[in-house]
Amino acid sequence: MTGFQPPVFIPETAIAERVDALARRISADHAGVDDLLLIGVLRGAFIFLGDLARRLTVPCSVDFVALSSYDRGATGSEGVRVVMDVRVEIRGRHVVLVEDIVDSGDTLAFLIHTLEVRRPASLRTCVLARKRGPEGRLARLDYVGFDIPDRWVVGYGLDYDNKFRTLPYIGVVHAPDDD
Amino acid sequence: MTINADAPLPPVLLSERQIAERVDQLARQISADHAGVDDLLLVGVLRGAFIFLADLARRLTIPTTIDFMALSHYEHGSAPSGAVRLVMDLRIPIAGRSVLLVEDIVDSGETLSYLRRMLEARGPASLKICALTRKPDRLTSDVRVDYVGFDIPDAWVVGYGLDFDNKFRSLPYIGVFTPPAGRG
Repeated sequence: MTGFQPPVFIPETAIAERVDALARRISADHAGVDDLLLIGVLRGAFIFLGDLARRLTVPCSVDFVALSSYDRGATGSEGVRVVMDVRVEIRGRHVVLVEDIVDSGDTLAFLIHTLEVRRPASLRTCVLARKRGPEGRLARLDYVGFDIPDRWVVGYGLDYDNKFRTLPYIGVVHAPDDD
Repeated sequence: MTINADAPLPPVLLSERQIAERVDQLARQISADHAGVDDLLLVGVLRGAFIFLADLARRLTIPTTIDFMALSHYEHGSAPSGAVRLVMDLRIPIAGRSVLLVEDIVDSGETLSYLRRMLEARGPASLKICALTRKPDRLTSDVRVDYVGFDIPDAWVVGYGLDFDNKFRSLPYIGVFTPPAGRG
């Protein structure tokens, strides 16, 4: 990438190891499940999902939801809108929802609610990064890749104004100058 | 990935290593061809292209933005050739932008030809197409594909994003699947 290169926060190798570990746990927790449904939240989760899905040892299907919200920052809670719903029926299915980052947890809570009323056999959540903000009102998370401080992280699917999403590592764009 | 006892793993057509090497080459070529492009827009076609796109995008050395389109095919070929239903359109306007459409497979090429016409009507600065696989024996359209990962035989391929009835999509390699009816 030309121009500004965000400094590395979590290197590729650390991500790969963590994704491996998550895949082993998810596979173990779903041993015997016939056809696990992975639902990726666009656009941010596609790289994480691409790597995670390939490492699972249980049979799985993949689907996507796309959401739109006003702002991913501090108060982006009200305006969540489903741009694209899942195509498959989830009633009676075992589902893992795959998300790139959880900040306030409002978006994920909205999704969990939206999906749970369809009565899946089980619904678990897997996020690559969980942000520890000043007041985290966190949705229930079953699998967490990394707990990270309240900084703007980019790469591996995460973006800043749609940029840096395809960096192979997780970097930081502008770190707050406290701690 | 194990499916279950009576459904053995599809035999390997293209191994993980072969795919990784080819994706590297494609990324180098695409980066070179778009040197100086400020912000290449990669458009992934869902659901099949997400693994290919994830690997390809990370290897590009130029700044990129990602967007997705989701398509649905009409049943029983009732639609005009190649026409598909747009389940989700792009969020980003492409007029004046350099665009690379990323597909998992080119079969007849009719859908891709339709997509190319649809996107070109929006006036991008450039529009190129990158497909992981292409089946030359099945082509009925002369759609131009600028970057092709592999020309493959006319078989049902699965894995690395490609599916059979939504199964086998997450295999890390590309295998050949024989539908159950063919087992005799």
